[in-house]
Amino acid sequence: MTKRLSALILAVLFSGTFAAGQSKAWDILREILLVPGVSGHEGPVADFIQGKLPSGYKVQRDGMHNVWFTVGSGKPHILFVAHSDELGWVVDKITPDGRVRVKRGGGMLAETAEARPVLIHTAHGAVPGVVAPRPGYDNRRPQADAPEAPFSPENFDIFLGVSTEAEARALGVAEGDSVTPKKVLVDFAPGLMASRAVDDRAGCAALIDAALRLKAESYRNKTVTFAWDVQEETGLFGAAELAKTLKPDFVFAIDTFVSTDSPLESKRFGYLPVGKGAVLRSVDSSNVTPKTEIRKVMAIAKKRGIPIQVGNSRGGNDGSVFLAGGAVDIPLSWPGSYAHSLIEKIDRRDLEALTDLILAVISDWK
Amino acid sequence: MTDRTAKKIGVLLAFACVAAGTSWAADVKSLTRELFVAPSTTGNEDILAGKIRGLLPRGLPVEEDGLGTMAVRIAGAPGPTLLLAALDGYGHMVSGITSDGYLTVDRPAAPPHARFDAYLLGQPVIISTAHGPVHGVVSQPAMHLLTQERRKTLVENFSLENAFIDIGVRSEKEARDKGIEILDSVTLWPALTELAGDHWSGPSLGLKAVAAVLVAVAESLANEQPRGETVIAWTAQTKFAARGRGARPALGAVQAKAKWAPSRTVIVDVIAAGKDGKAPVPGKGPVLVRPKDETSALRQAFERAAAGAGISFQFLEAANSPLAIPFAGPQSEVLTVALPVQFLNTPSEIIDLKDLQALRDLLERFLKTGGGQ
Repeated sequence: MTKRLSALILAVLFSGTFAAGQSKAWDILREILLVPGVSGHEGPVADFIQGKLPSGYKVQRDGMHNVWFTVGSGKPHILFVAHSDELGWVVDKITPDGRVRVKRGGGMLAETAEARPVLIHTAHGAVPGVVAPRPGYDNRRPQADAPEAPFSPENFDIFLGVSTEAEARALGVAEGDSVTPKKVLVDFAPGLMASRAVDDRAGCAALIDAALRLKAESYRNKTVTFAWDVQEETGLFGAAELAKTLKPDFVFAIDTFVSTDSPLESKRFGYLPVGKGAVLRSVDSSNVTPKTEIRKVMAIAKKRGIPIQVGNSRGGNDGSVFLAGGAVDIPLSWPGSYAHSLIEKIDRRDLEALTDLILAVISDWK
Repeated sequence: MTDRTAKKIGVLLAFACVAAGTSWAADVKSLTRELFVAPSTTGNEDILAGKIRGLLPRGLPVEEDGLGTMAVRIAGAPGPTLLLAALDGYGHMVSGITSDGYLTVDRPAAPPHARFDAYLLGQPVIISTAHGPVHGVVSQPAMHLLTQERRKTLVENFSLENAFIDIGVRSEKEARDKGIEILDSVTLWPALTELAGDHWSGPSLGLKAVAAVLVAVAESLANEQPRGETVIAWTAQTKFAARGRGARPALGAVQAKAKWAPSRTVIVDVIAAGKDGKAPVPGKGPVLVRPKDETSALRQAFERAAAGAGISFQFLEAANSPLAIPFAGPQSEVLTVALPVQFLNTPSEIIDLKDLQALRDLLERFLKTGGGQ
């Protein structure tokens, strides 16, 4: 028998000890991607998450729509947290000619929304609209002598198909409604896709899947909390609220690894290829993971036969909020190309490796 | 059940199917929806042409030229009236495959405006191969890794030189295995958005809507022949200019003129509408383009047909469509009627369904009452 075959058999044997059933993370991701949840407007996505969780857990939810549950008891206390909010905008006002103006949302290149469909999430359901292209968009040549104002949320408006404010309001549109790009799931091949809001709905899906496959014996003699928090994109506000009551020893933030796996970026920085496994973020804009913890995670992954990559990149993570309370932050990810775009790319194998890693950490962490 | 009863039921079913088919095909909204998903860019019109062919009434012989233009001829008094629309839209095509499996991009014709190529950045696209559609995205750098300065200039500096399509493969071979070939068309994802107030929106929607109007008119004329012979043509390569001295008209229109030699031509085109509150206005009917100081029996006949049917339309004093250039001359008359399109040549062209229906009704009425003969 070859060494490789022996390792495979060992991995299969081990895998049965900490997880129940096949991963459903990919299917959950494809569903949750389409649920709206702009920062500060996470109600629908929080409902979705709660609806997916096993009934046996005592699930809690606060006024911000943070959702969490805790199982087990004793030390260490391990927290897994993914953010449920997504990039988008909020209706600021409706003009007399029935156009909608929005307030700035974080992190997305506004020009990629120019002349694109959006959905306004009203109390009566989603209302489609189109972001109007900038005035003079169809000039034959750029006007070099008259520089344009930047195309930004402050100066674009949304056309709904109506021509008066009253007609817009009759559709149900009101100030404070959230707005998202109309999402498309681009399937390159089975198990490889791109869409808006993979950041961090993939993290949410991984945690839901882990919760569904969690075995009671895996968290004996330790406390484990799963949390889906809000308003990460606008300043880690949901995590800050959770940090007031949750005092974990270790926090595993589950969020995108901003990868340069693309033809436009230097592979000398942040390059972890899509499809090569889960990711441990060693350094990002908010945290330096201790080498000792990196080695522990790597050892667990190796023991379980879970493909994993380690890399440093940019972007913050929710776990960093818990650092001040004494926690160690160990961000786990998948390699994501085109972060904060309409076309965030993800590979099913990476997502399932991430879910397996979460379950393995619960089982083996000391 | 006797054989005779079975035959009767069969005949009735066949009749019902034909009737249902007729009523469906005549619905210009359904036709537009059907054609909307078919990509068509200059030199790559075959998929849309195939769709149109499939929607045309059976029994109408289809004529073609060497460029890919297709037409149907409806019998009547000789000396055809030509109803002509574009079959091709502005778009892009595959120009190469990198060793790591990304596709490079070019376009077959000059863009309609300076910002046209930049609409590709960070968008889902469809590559239409001989083996079927391949899904891709036009790469965009991760926002976290861009300096503020580079964010500001990312779109302004975007060009086809740095446009790469990711189709989820890692090598040129894998890309070719998916069926990718040089010159395959690259088009934006065909997402139709239904807005309030009978407005629809989507990429290249104006072109598809006009093509659908001509299918609906062909259907109607086939059921009730017009007085005059009519040729209805969907013309390939109209965004590509014929070379030579003087004006450079649309290549497809030049060939159409040579092939069908019409004495009267009605160009059915799209026109930018709703710009800065100026005419033409979406929702106020089709636009009759009126070159300055032009008087034309054809135009008068057209106006009479509209008035007789109570169909309102808009006038716009402007140069005729580029498609009309080859048809202008002492031996023939030409006019341009257009569907108003808001945000023309953007990823979200908007049409008003009332204009669409009015355009269909107007053309049908005009042709059934003699086509200006």
